Amino acid sequence: MMSIFLIVLFLQGIQEPALTAKEVVTRADDNVRGKTSQAEIIIRTVRPTWQREMTVKTWSIGNEYAMILVKSPVKDKGVAFLKRKKEVWNWVPVLERSIKLPPSMMTQSWMGTDFTNDDLVKESSVVEDYDHSFLGDTVIANRSCHIIQMIPKPEAAIVWGKIILCIDKKDFVEVHSKFYDEEGELINIMNASEVKMMDGRLIPTHLEMIPVDKKDQRTIMIYSNISYNKPLSDSFFTLQQMKNLK
Amino acid sequence: MWFKLAWKNLWRNTHRTAITISAIFFAVILSVTASSLQDGVFDNFIKNMVGYYTGYIQVHLKGYWDHPVLDNALDREPAYEASISRPANITAVAPRIESYALASFEDVTKGCMIVGVSPEQENNITALKNKVVAGRYFARDDETSVILSEGLSQRLNLGVGDTLYLIGQGYHGALAAGKYAILGIVTFGSPELNDQLLFMTLTTAQEFFSAPNQITSYVIGLSSDSYLDQTVKTLKDLSGEEYEVMSWMELLPEVHQHIQMDKGSMYIILGILYLLICFGIFGTLLMMMVERRFEMGMLVAIGMKKRKLAGLFLTESILTVFIGSALGLLCSIPIVMYLKKYPIRIGGEMAEAYKQFNFEPIFPASTDPTIFLTQGLIVLAIGLALSMYPVITAFRLDPVKAMRK
Amino acid sequence: MVIIIMAWRNIWRNKVRSLIIIGSVALGLIAGLFVLSLYKGIMKDRVNVVIRQEVAHIQVHHPLFKEDYDPQYVITDKEKVREFLVEMDEVAEFATRSIGQGMVATGTGSSGIQIVGVDPEKENIVSQLNSKLIEGSGFDAAKKNQALIGKKLADKMHLKPGSKAILTFTDRESNIVSAAFRVAGIYQTDNAPLDERIVFVRRSDLNILLTVEDDFHEIAILLKDDEGVEGFGTAMQSAFPDVKIETWQELSPETKLMIDTTDQYSYIFITIIMFALSFGIINAMLMAVLERSREIGMLLALGMNRPRVFTMILTETILLTLSGTPLGILISWIIVTFYRNHGLDIATFGGEAMSSFGFSTVIYPEFPWEKMVTEMLIVVSAAFIASLIPALKAIKLQPVEALQK
Repeated sequence: MMSIFLIVLFLQGIQEPALTAKEVVTRADDNVRGKTSQAEIIIRTVRPTWQREMTVKTWSIGNEYAMILVKSPVKDKGVAFLKRKKEVWNWVPVLERSIKLPPSMMTQSWMGTDFTNDDLVKESSVVEDYDHSFLGDTVIANRSCHIIQMIPKPEAAIVWGKIILCIDKKDFVEVHSKFYDEEGELINIMNASEVKMMDGRLIPTHLEMIPVDKKDQRTIMIYSNISYNKPLSDSFFTLQQMKNLK
Repeated sequence: MWFKLAWKNLWRNTHRTAITISAIFFAVILSVTASSLQDGVFDNFIKNMVGYYTGYIQVHLKGYWDHPVLDNALDREPAYEASISRPANITAVAPRIESYALASFEDVTKGCMIVGVSPEQENNITALKNKVVAGRYFARDDETSVILSEGLSQRLNLGVGDTLYLIGQGYHGALAAGKYAILGIVTFGSPELNDQLLFMTLTTAQEFFSAPNQITSYVIGLSSDSYLDQTVKTLKDLSGEEYEVMSWMELLPEVHQHIQMDKGSMYIILGILYLLICFGIFGTLLMMMVERRFEMGMLVAIGMKKRKLAGLFLTESILTVFIGSALGLLCSIPIVMYLKKYPIRIGGEMAEAYKQFNFEPIFPASTDPTIFLTQGLIVLAIGLALSMYPVITAFRLDPVKAMRK
Repeated sequence: MVIIIMAWRNIWRNKVRSLIIIGSVALGLIAGLFVLSLYKGIMKDRVNVVIRQEVAHIQVHHPLFKEDYDPQYVITDKEKVREFLVEMDEVAEFATRSIGQGMVATGTGSSGIQIVGVDPEKENIVSQLNSKLIEGSGFDAAKKNQALIGKKLADKMHLKPGSKAILTFTDRESNIVSAAFRVAGIYQTDNAPLDERIVFVRRSDLNILLTVEDDFHEIAILLKDDEGVEGFGTAMQSAFPDVKIETWQELSPETKLMIDTTDQYSYIFITIIMFALSFGIINAMLMAVLERSREIGMLLALGMNRPRVFTMILTETILLTLSGTPLGILISWIIVTFYRNHGLDIATFGGEAMSSFGFSTVIYPEFPWEKMVTEMLIVVSAAFIASLIPALKAIKLQPVEALQK
């Protein structure tokens, strides 16, 4: 009797080996990404003297193909962006024209948010392009989290010197991130909250990106809807399709 | 009594006196002309440089120059605009709204800089109308067609009457997009401007950028560069903390440097001129002393105190110098006026190069009164300093030697 | 003949007067030559900087490359062109460059730039790149993906040697490419706007990212001699009709404009100085004639005819001038050579020190041999004409009156 009990305990120990930092990050990343995903997002840009809210619908296949359709405000309704690997196209209904974004536009902010056009194109992978290590544990909003340090690999085209992630140990939700430049100066902070069940996954639906030196400025993303792994083919991501998005 | 004696001495030998006076006379004319030309040329150079695009002074929202983004635009306030238009030196106040956008036609997309201008004010500062080479300039303040720079029109392969698409980012992140007809084409000498600029009327641009009543800069024209610093100070006093007032020296530091270098070499040249003038006057005085040696010796021999002789010479010198300077100044006025009205023209292929940049190929003269004053005083000072020579000669005179032939 | 001997004796009879006139002539020459050498020094320096640090003597591109800097427009027949340049004697060195347009990003933000891929050894000869470094040690042969950043850009983006910067640009197929580079050094030129825009990397690193293999977009050619640029350009163009060849004057038209303008300036001021000189001489000679009226009257009374008197006075002036000329040339040469070796710092004459912008305020005057003959002729003619008036005065003397003075 006792020996069976001990064997079961022993087997349980074998079944759950401790995860490496890289694996934790991979699981968290896979959780929010899926092979394909579609989402509806509210993007709020907050500034000291004004605020702007935009609603978009997105479709994506991994890191390579993405389509973004702006649904509100009214002046921007119908504007769409298409990313095919390293090219970005912009559809402007008012002009009935699609334009390929030249490199000179890459530094411009995307639709007035804190993201740049360049951010849309970036293909860096949190898993492949960094070296990961555990720094310790912490508790955030009643969640017990790993603290993981990510250092970009030397060849990676990443501006940060270091990123610190706090990932929930149980649900693999990324709740907090700190972005440092190469001098070790903290530049951006990302907070994620309102973890909800979306299409069978636990996803943080309220994300805030806060620049450290501009306290009354931030970008807020609220996911109202996400679905994963619905069938989407490459042929969806075309210029033609951009014009007919709903 | 000295005065009468000195005066009589002067006119005893009219020729000699005339020669001495004329030395000073010509000295004044030359230094005034040289100075006036120098000043005129510099002023003109600056005028060309700032009139090209930047203006003499610009007013922005504080922090705009370091972060020239549309979100750093300022609201137009009629009261403020009226107040900054009032100072005497200011010839024009042109509001502008500038931001980056994409110009597109068929499959060609180019980045461009959209400049929303107030047609008449803008023309007062940069003579934009003169740069039109095809089509025409804005006739009304609310025209919706646009004017392209030549390089841009060539890249997009568009001409007057064609339509192009503009896409950009508006104020507070709004999308800016629109179709516009081309009204005219302008040319700039420098490729940087020629390949990038696209002009709209201010109202059209504000609408495009969703920035009602907003501008990114006031561009200010002055009548001349002379009172730049005072004007900047006046403007700073009139504006509040939320504005930044910048002179062209801050906006175009390379031009400023170039001028400083030039000014340095000009001072050297003026210095050389003064040297020559000194020499001329001194030579005259020297010879005069030589000629009057016998006379001086005689006076001292019959009992005149050397001190008084020196005083006599000093008085003569002062009279001569004053008469010469006064006459010189008087005559230099018409000369400078003439040069200002009919400036020296630059010829040949240089004139072509100037025209390409839309600069007038001339060497203008400046009629700033301070020139006359300064140069007059300098020559006066030189003359008086040099007249110490006869004074010293008088003191060191040995009457016996002097009267020996 | 007798006249000449008489004239010569006359001159030395009154040493003071003669020395004054010789001095004036010499001074006039010194003034003129010094001014010319100042300007020549300034111009030479400017041209030198433009050629040896900025654009080189000649640049070669694909005819369509400069419209949009599209990376697909590499120079065709690159091997033949290379061979040609290696063979031509006139070529001192040439540097091949590849160019991409894009942006640089750090944690602080991003900025639009032009990325220039160079071959460091050749580049150091053709544009003195390594001499512009103010921080860091420059390209290290062992390391990949290094970048040299201009000071203005480094300050804006908070970059130091060793910092990481992400460069993004489009490759040959219009794909957007990003790569991480390390700052190996910070450079500074006197052109701050350029410093803000241009980032140097190794051509080998850039070509991999641009996918242009060993091709290049630009060749900068440094010739052994500043003359003959046009000739070489024409020769090369006929050998390779499919490329676009530009001389430094075409690449930097502002510099050419500046040189021509300065040339004209200097002539105007030389004219003014010559006037000053002439008046000085007229004065001196008039005084001389006045003083010698008794002597001249005596000569006339004794039977010397007027034309001879005229000739005699004229000859005196000519001899004086000819004596002053070599003196003037010698002294000005000494002065110019002194400053050429030590440099003349404009800053002390009122130009502010702008070295924080990368400017040098020192001028190295160059003796204007090619203009010397003209200058001499101008001075001698000025002296000659100046002497006519006194000579005319002399022959108008009435012997009886003159003897009575």
